[in-house]
Amino acid sequence: MPELRKDPIIGRWVIIATERATRPDQFSNLAEGAVPEEKDCPFCEGNESKTPPEVYSIRQKHTAANTPGWELRAIPNISPFLRIEGEIGRRGRGMYDLMNGVGAHEVIVETNKHTANIADLSEEQISKVITCYIDRIIDLEKDKRFKYVLVFKNYGWAAGAGKIKHSRSQLIATPVNPKRVKEELVGARQYYDYHERCVFCDLIKQELEAKERVILDLDGFVAVAPFAARFPFETWIFPKKHSCDFVSLDMEGRLNLARILKQTLLKLKIGANDPPYNYIIHTAPFRRQKSGYWKSIDHDYHWHIEIMPRLTRVAGFEWGTGFYICPLQPEDAAKFLREVKI
Amino acid sequence: MSELRRDPIIGRWVIVETANPSHPQEYEYETHVQRGGNCPFCYGNESMTPFEIDSIRDLHTGPNSPGWQVRVVPNKFPALKIEGTLDRRGLGIYDLSNGVGAHEVLVETPYHNKDIPDLLNEEVEKIISMYCRRSLDLAKDKRFKYIMIFKNYGPSAGASVEHPHTQIIALPMVPKNALEEIKGAENYFEFKERCIFCDMIQQELQEKERIIAENNYFVSFCPFVSRFPFEIWIMPKQHYCCFCHLPHEEAPALASILKETISKVKSVFGNLAYNYIIHSAPANGETTTEGYHWHIEFMPKLTRVAGFEWGSGFYVVPTPPELAAKILREQKI
Repeated sequence: MPELRKDPIIGRWVIIATERATRPDQFSNLAEGAVPEEKDCPFCEGNESKTPPEVYSIRQKHTAANTPGWELRAIPNISPFLRIEGEIGRRGRGMYDLMNGVGAHEVIVETNKHTANIADLSEEQISKVITCYIDRIIDLEKDKRFKYVLVFKNYGWAAGAGKIKHSRSQLIATPVNPKRVKEELVGARQYYDYHERCVFCDLIKQELEAKERVILDLDGFVAVAPFAARFPFETWIFPKKHSCDFVSLDMEGRLNLARILKQTLLKLKIGANDPPYNYIIHTAPFRRQKSGYWKSIDHDYHWHIEIMPRLTRVAGFEWGTGFYICPLQPEDAAKFLREVKI
Repeated sequence: MSELRRDPIIGRWVIVETANPSHPQEYEYETHVQRGGNCPFCYGNESMTPFEIDSIRDLHTGPNSPGWQVRVVPNKFPALKIEGTLDRRGLGIYDLSNGVGAHEVLVETPYHNKDIPDLLNEEVEKIISMYCRRSLDLAKDKRFKYIMIFKNYGPSAGASVEHPHTQIIALPMVPKNALEEIKGAENYFEFKERCIFCDMIQQELQEKERIIAENNYFVSFCPFVSRFPFEIWIMPKQHYCCFCHLPHEEAPALASILKETISKVKSVFGNLAYNYIIHSAPANGETTTEGYHWHIEFMPKLTRVAGFEWGSGFYVVPTPPELAAKILREQKI
């Protein structure tokens, strides 16, 4: 019998489809081979002139910006979704509301080598990537027009990456709090209002007791297959210690996060045949002085990373309902990934 | 400068690239050629499917034999199962339920290679009347709270069988997206005492720039807040909340505008993949007859949904709906 499971935070239902169950090793890569790789990578060392001028870099002493000698670079996206110049300009048009597409859209080039998957970088390098995320968020917070910075990665064609296979992530600063983020915040606050506990802390505790959905439990972080997973091998990484803001992670925490992120992604790469994936950092929005709305956020929200392998296609049913059909039980996915040797 | 537009119903923002819009030839998308082969939905292969639930067929032909024009069968790999009662329960902080529901496949035509643009209006009308028949029948089952009718066409839109078909799923709860839309429409109604969709149709018909096609009963347009390039909504001009109450005289008009719209899209983009979904009021519950207005949302598969969309719920639309509508309006079929 298929099972319907409900996400405890935002109330999304998921169908764990036992009838169309697929064995963990039976998912095929979505037509990845058909996409040719583009030559002339603008993200490789030596090609700095092919990108817009960098906004951030970690580089050797006495090397100038936009020249070789860097280990990591953040640059504006060459075709940004949102543009940095201009006012927000909220206005109406008949019954509709609109505003200008103001924001920031940056690309974080994670290595100067032409490596595709962040899983293949060293822990130290990944911790530098995390530091770059944090430094960029702190910098963008200074711009009062922005309310949120979404940090995410698209790896592989089916996950929305371009044809250049050079490891990178993106961040987008938005002038409004995104709907998905709000939903999660509201869900967590409702739970807190009722229980006076953080829903994520409760979730972590239950997962560590039940164990069956835990993939890795390592140095203050835990990687779990969520109870109401939308996608096969979906994985969430949480800091065990309560914290609403990713930016507050200290140096040791960054290295530990790098370790569990690398190990999780390596298990996915080896176990699930190098699937396309997205990951998204879920963190609190900028908490500026205003109405009391966000006051409890330090207690009720808990930052985390959601990794979504793209082995199934999102079709009409998912678009229409917001229900997801997951053909792999999260318990089986976790067991499988736990046992993958890296 | 791009534009951020806010959906008036559910409050979702989308980014519309107005300054540097993409034209149809700039999209990289999958088109496909039907491969054929041994297809369980083809005429003569009726024994390859589970027993049919309903069909429109010639007189004196029996079920599960040739002679049909439209056929409905249970999904061989159902996401939900028809037997059992709904058993909601908790597991620590989690909630779950058994997967009770119906999952049916409607084979739209005996022909393997004929999509809606290739059919006669009368044939499309049969598909639509079968959508209604199945909705009405499934709604008799009091366990079901929502009947969802949707089509996946082409592999990148999620179709696993290439023979054109629609799926019908009856759900034991009203799904989140439908609930959001209904709530948004109800809020608007409470505030203005008017249906938001009726207001939308009125504004669209006045402004005209997003209209693709129109007839006596229906209008098809690119919504002001499209999530996807060349997204299209087809709406009845007359206000009613449930698709299954489609008046008899409106069915030919719906068939004709659906065919015209998809034909235009396919004339521009070739045999591209697409989804369409019928948005209708819930079954067996508190139906809001005043605030909700059924419609069809059509989504061509031209872009890939990536991390930003997943994480934020923002969508990025490289072709403004005004330009998309102009291209489709002017497209000869």
